[in-house]
Amino acid sequence: MSKSLICSCEDVTADDVRHAVSRGYCDVESVKRYTGFGTGICQGKSCLSAVAALLEKEKALAPDAVVPFTPRPPLYPTELRLLATAPVDESVPPVGGVPQEVEVFASALRPTEPLPAKAKVVIIGGGIMGLALAYNLARAGETDVVVLERGYLCAGASGRNGGGVRMQWGTPALVELAKRSIDLMKGFARELGINVWLRQGGYLFMARTEAVARKLERNVTLHNRFGVPTRLVTPDAARDIVPGLTMKNCVAASFNPEDGVIFPWPFLWGYAQGCRKKGVRVETYTDVKGFEVSGGQIRKVKTDRGDIACDTVVLAAGAWSPEVAKLVGVQLPNEPHRHEILSTEPLKPFLGPLVSVLDSGLYFSQSMRGEIVGGMGDPKEPAGLNMGSTLRFVSRFAQALMEQLPQVGHVKVLRQWAGCYDVTPDNNPILGRTPGLDNLLQMSGFVGHGFMMAPAVAERMAQWMATGESDELFTRFNLRRFSEGSIEREDMIIG
Amino acid sequence: MRRLKDAPSRGRAITVDLEGESIPAIEGEPVACSLIAAGESMLARSVKYHRPRGPYCFAEACSHCLMRVDGLPNVYTCRTPAREGMKLERQNAFPSAKVDVFETIDWFFPKGLDHHEMFAGVPVAEQVMAKVARQLAGLGLLPKEPAPAPPPTRTLRTRVAVVGGGSAGLAAARVLTDQGVPFLLFERADHVGGRLAHGAPESGAPAMEDVATFAPDSVRLRATALGLYDDEHGRYLAVGAWEPEGPRLLKVYAERFLLAPGGHPPTVPFENNDLPGVYAGRAASLLLRRYDVAPQVAALVGWGPELYALAALMEDRGVKVAAVVDLRSAPPPGVHALAAQGSEPKAHGLRHVSAFSYTTTSGARQKVSCDAVLVSVPVSPSFELARQGGAKVGFDSARGLFHVAADADGRTESKEVFVAGDVTGGGTAKQAAEAGRRAAQALVGGLS
Repeated sequence: MSKSLICSCEDVTADDVRHAVSRGYCDVESVKRYTGFGTGICQGKSCLSAVAALLEKEKALAPDAVVPFTPRPPLYPTELRLLATAPVDESVPPVGGVPQEVEVFASALRPTEPLPAKAKVVIIGGGIMGLALAYNLARAGETDVVVLERGYLCAGASGRNGGGVRMQWGTPALVELAKRSIDLMKGFARELGINVWLRQGGYLFMARTEAVARKLERNVTLHNRFGVPTRLVTPDAARDIVPGLTMKNCVAASFNPEDGVIFPWPFLWGYAQGCRKKGVRVETYTDVKGFEVSGGQIRKVKTDRGDIACDTVVLAAGAWSPEVAKLVGVQLPNEPHRHEILSTEPLKPFLGPLVSVLDSGLYFSQSMRGEIVGGMGDPKEPAGLNMGSTLRFVSRFAQALMEQLPQVGHVKVLRQWAGCYDVTPDNNPILGRTPGLDNLLQMSGFVGHGFMMAPAVAERMAQWMATGESDELFTRFNLRRFSEGSIEREDMIIG
Repeated sequence: MRRLKDAPSRGRAITVDLEGESIPAIEGEPVACSLIAAGESMLARSVKYHRPRGPYCFAEACSHCLMRVDGLPNVYTCRTPAREGMKLERQNAFPSAKVDVFETIDWFFPKGLDHHEMFAGVPVAEQVMAKVARQLAGLGLLPKEPAPAPPPTRTLRTRVAVVGGGSAGLAAARVLTDQGVPFLLFERADHVGGRLAHGAPESGAPAMEDVATFAPDSVRLRATALGLYDDEHGRYLAVGAWEPEGPRLLKVYAERFLLAPGGHPPTVPFENNDLPGVYAGRAASLLLRRYDVAPQVAALVGWGPELYALAALMEDRGVKVAAVVDLRSAPPPGVHALAAQGSEPKAHGLRHVSAFSYTTTSGARQKVSCDAVLVSVPVSPSFELARQGGAKVGFDSARGLFHVAADADGRTESKEVFVAGDVTGGGTAKQAAEAGRRAAQALVGGLS
């Protein structure tokens, strides 16, 4: 069949690019994500300029707005076993990271049409939280909503996570939210017309120490109480679930077959399209610069495209939330922490569940496209907005992965990237009204697992906002808890 | 493609194993080159539509030549030296690449497909699709055995790290040598020279620098720059180097980085541009000049001076040129008897190119028989390392290319990073050499 290929690694045609533009995805980063061009083995070497030229020629983009997608290391596919040999000094914190990714959006990408002068609700942050909330508000009848996003959809943590979704949490509140979220994910395509490729291959958590093993044991009791079928498994049973797994230095494991992985990006597109259909404005490449406050209320949100008068402001900017809150004099206890992640060449299916060593934070899964996607937190990572990539991470990750799955040594890494976790002192989110600034609602602090919580959290929050009925979620996780005492720490954090 | 009859012996004749069949090859030459010279031009099926694929770029910049080699998936056969008994398998086909039932997918979706919206929310169909998609996705199989551990990473320190041993990189190395500045030059290929060694010869091209006159061990071949990283000790280049005992990772700290990696052969979107028998222009000149492998009859399409230089090179070695189509402008007078401006190029053939057609300026369709379509356009600058090092990247809308923003001396936004040659937007080999010299001089002036 005659076809005009523009990205031959991923079989993307020139018509596919035009189709993405017709859906409203015009900038290079968005077209990359929507069509998949540049995400294959060559990582854009042969296709990037052709796509950029097509977008410019067909006037999807002004010449100044044609910027390449971020070139991520490694430049050529590189075996995990080779990367694993890079020396790592665990005694010092990781520094640096390339390429520079914070503050990089070209001003030519900023839309030129005016923003509405006023709106009932302004949501700051066009990640999964903000978009899911806007969609749920619109569904509840509130469509006078504007979502402000500083970059493209998927620019923040919502577009950078590994796509894991699980019910295996350590506190009842998160187990319930996650369970509801996964239910909503199952119906997402039906409701919003876009596939999210949920694959319930389970989550296998491994413990290296008796203390962590006991934690898994406690979790099983908790999960079962909520109808989550988590079970403890022996090392041998774990090896049956994941052929080739060594379980080296691991004493126990837990497995919930109903956990899984999804493809994160379509959630943002689906929610954004759903919002726009209902009349909600989703404004990308629009940065919040300040606020106008009087009488203990925010009156206006100031942006680089003008001001919006509003009744309610929702702060859902993830790791950027403390920075935005500071503009209005609110001190949030959250801190951004870089977390790195990588993706390998795509292989035929060999790995069912997402596997995680709870003690080290190592996690890996196989995506729908066949890539091994995984990461591992660095205990020395300093606080700060940083989305650069390091060789230190790939080396630590490759070593830890090969310890558990030795036959991946020849598998080649195609790209590495990073995103920021939005870390709170108790690993739990910050939700609800801001003390002293009544019409500023918080929706942040999800510590790297906001993606999987968002559908359920947004559903509850929209309900709470629309009806005014009380919901314990917004008192339990209120900002007040940090000054008033009682906090319950979530300790099932990985990555 | 075939090996020219007048080809001198370039190595030991060996055989490699292609799915159980013995195929003649030349030891040490890229195994994809041996395969196409032996008439085996379909090396793979594409990931989604299972379209036949054969090598295109010979530069590790596409994915058309990926095969399973000695049990390892997705190996670039365009850069893998042939070895006696090497086992080669085509990937992503059932039951075989020659008769692949999944080719039907290509016919079902004539314009492309939106996997986001396909069957979205349709009960049952959605679940079935997810199961089928997972089985169809992926390329290659996980190796069965654990990999042997490579030797430990070696950390090197030098004053200047040069990436690329083409016209620009070699000219820079000459300046550094003459000024007594220690440097290390990393070249991805198994030979230096870039297009001086394997491009279509340009008039006025500089003579190739003699690497033997540089300090011993300052030029590393088969050494691929993977990233320009930083850590607690400063900025360094991560390099994957092929050493006699296998691959080794190098961390190369330097005070300055002179990046002259050239560019990637880009895709030019036209109908059937991925058919086996369609080659990048620089691949065609490489195959001819280094391995004496060439088509019988070639149609050339593209724009820029390299297009006409390639036509001259082909005819010089006895290849019949059936068409030279300039997609941008009327050809300069006298460049080639057949040169014509045209549009809407198309490759024809079921499993391999058998013809080429285009629309002439008068609007008529012109079709010629050929066994290869050679796509010669300016290379797409390899800006990745420079951008990682902090340089700015701009878009040249007239040429449709990204390039690293630099001043006339190759200075970028980042004081440690200098660039020269095609990475700044392309030009002749002579201009690249001049830029390499200027950049080397400028960066030496800034060294303490």
